[in-house]
Amino acid sequence: MVSIQDLSFSYKRKTVFKGLELNLQPGHIYGLLGRNGTGKSTLLRNIAGFLFPQSGRIDALGFEPRRRQPAFLQQVFLLPEEFYLPPIPITRWIEHTARFYPLFNIDQFYKYTTGFDIPMQGGMQEMSYGQQKKLLISFALAVNSPLLLMDEPTNGLDILSKSQFRKIMAGAVDEKKCILISTHQVKDLENLIDRILVIEEGRILFDQGIDSIAQRLSFTLSFDPEETARAFYSESSLKGNALVLPNTEGEDSRPDLEMLYKAIILEGEKISKHFKS
Amino acid sequence: MNQTFSFRRWQMLVGSHWAEHRKRYLLALLAVGGLQAGWYSFLLLIDHFGPINLFIQYATFYCGLFLVGCFYASTIFSELGSKSRAIQYLSIPASHLEKLLCGVLFGVVLFFIAFTVVFYIVDIPMVSLANRIIANEHQHWPNTFLPIGSVGVLNLWNNEWAPIVDRKYHLFLFGYFAIQSIFLLGSVYFERWSFIKTVVAFLLFWGVFILYANKGIEQHLPEGWHSYDLTRWIHNGDNMVSASLVTLPSTMERILIFLMQYSLPPLFWIITYFRLKEKEV
Repeated sequence: MVSIQDLSFSYKRKTVFKGLELNLQPGHIYGLLGRNGTGKSTLLRNIAGFLFPQSGRIDALGFEPRRRQPAFLQQVFLLPEEFYLPPIPITRWIEHTARFYPLFNIDQFYKYTTGFDIPMQGGMQEMSYGQQKKLLISFALAVNSPLLLMDEPTNGLDILSKSQFRKIMAGAVDEKKCILISTHQVKDLENLIDRILVIEEGRILFDQGIDSIAQRLSFTLSFDPEETARAFYSESSLKGNALVLPNTEGEDSRPDLEMLYKAIILEGEKISKHFKS
Repeated sequence: MNQTFSFRRWQMLVGSHWAEHRKRYLLALLAVGGLQAGWYSFLLLIDHFGPINLFIQYATFYCGLFLVGCFYASTIFSELGSKSRAIQYLSIPASHLEKLLCGVLFGVVLFFIAFTVVFYIVDIPMVSLANRIIANEHQHWPNTFLPIGSVGVLNLWNNEWAPIVDRKYHLFLFGYFAIQSIFLLGSVYFERWSFIKTVVAFLLFWGVFILYANKGIEQHLPEGWHSYDLTRWIHNGDNMVSASLVTLPSTMERILIFLMQYSLPPLFWIITYFRLKEKEV
């Protein structure tokens, strides 16, 4: 669905990607993790055609994104972290925006807005930031685009809305759609994403499915110093040492995404080696 | 599906632009009408003999058209000045050509029609009021028996009261469309303060052009020859009697004037199109 080969991209003085390779397949929700400034949003905007690579090739749904052809824009929806909604009533906005997207489903849209408890009366400028974001998420999902890119979608949402977001997202994915979510809030996406991408120093440092992570790594709490010594990554807490260990028992353990992320960033080489072995 | 232009898609884009901006546009037109009425009322108060004459109407129309039209054109692609708005705008599934033509429709065609209609909506009753005041208060010019004739309404198409050169070529009108298209380009080119930056860029370009047309070109002329205007060069000789004038053939002059009249706006629209196509955010 999305194939990125040898992508290089720089802002004026700062190189962001150098030789980045990535493949995204339909039927998955990808979680794109990385430190601040590593290029998560830049990658999404390159895929959506809002930034142009200096070299390399991006193929998204058979299109070259930088050409921003209408048929491509109908099939890709980017939910940016900073977004804009015009100061007009919601119904007028829906009436004039939805018709650009042939797969937009109004019933789905109302189902999501009801789920998020968004008031549909009045202008969008009267809504809070969180309400506007939920409205845009509802719209993004109702567009039913095969490729959905979300940049920090849970920023600005309250606790109940985050839980509602996970519920709605879980119901929105199907085998034809590919969803790429860039986030710092890994906890918000637990049980939702099924593949983890970690971006570091201009390349994809880690790209594994949740099932594979559960098979190869074990996440546990332990006071055992021997076990702690074997861990790829450990963190002390009152309940014991939180550990990321090689899964030698073959038993699936539920991945702790925050621990996994820290382990990849701080001990990336060891983890990569373990997955290659 | 045609990826370059589809009338249906363009129609949807126009509808969506109108739905989003109509309140602002209608208020702006009301403000323009109000300013014109205020200006005419001021003239009625200070001049009891010949207020709102044809030259005043002509100057009011063109000053307003240039100022408001260029300012409005500089906001047509203002979405591109902010990251969040630019993403929303560029992600609308329409081609760059459709987006440009939507901007041209609102910024050039509809604005000109709406401005002209608002001008006459204010102009006609105000001129009639001025004529009534003259008829009721002063039938003659002060200290004479010369009657004060009634003032007519400006006819933009015969250009009767325009400066001489404009009567023939409508240069102000064509010049307006050319300059406005530069501001349209400025709205894509400059992310912030596009009106001011375009004014500065335009004045700099114009200054260099005038300098070249008057002084720069003289470097290439034989000694003693000077530029007279854009298409004529003069040699004064020892006295005015022996002055010589070289002028471009009239056909070439007409071609140049034709190009200046008709080619500049499309040229700048084409540049705007490529700039829009290459816009990154």
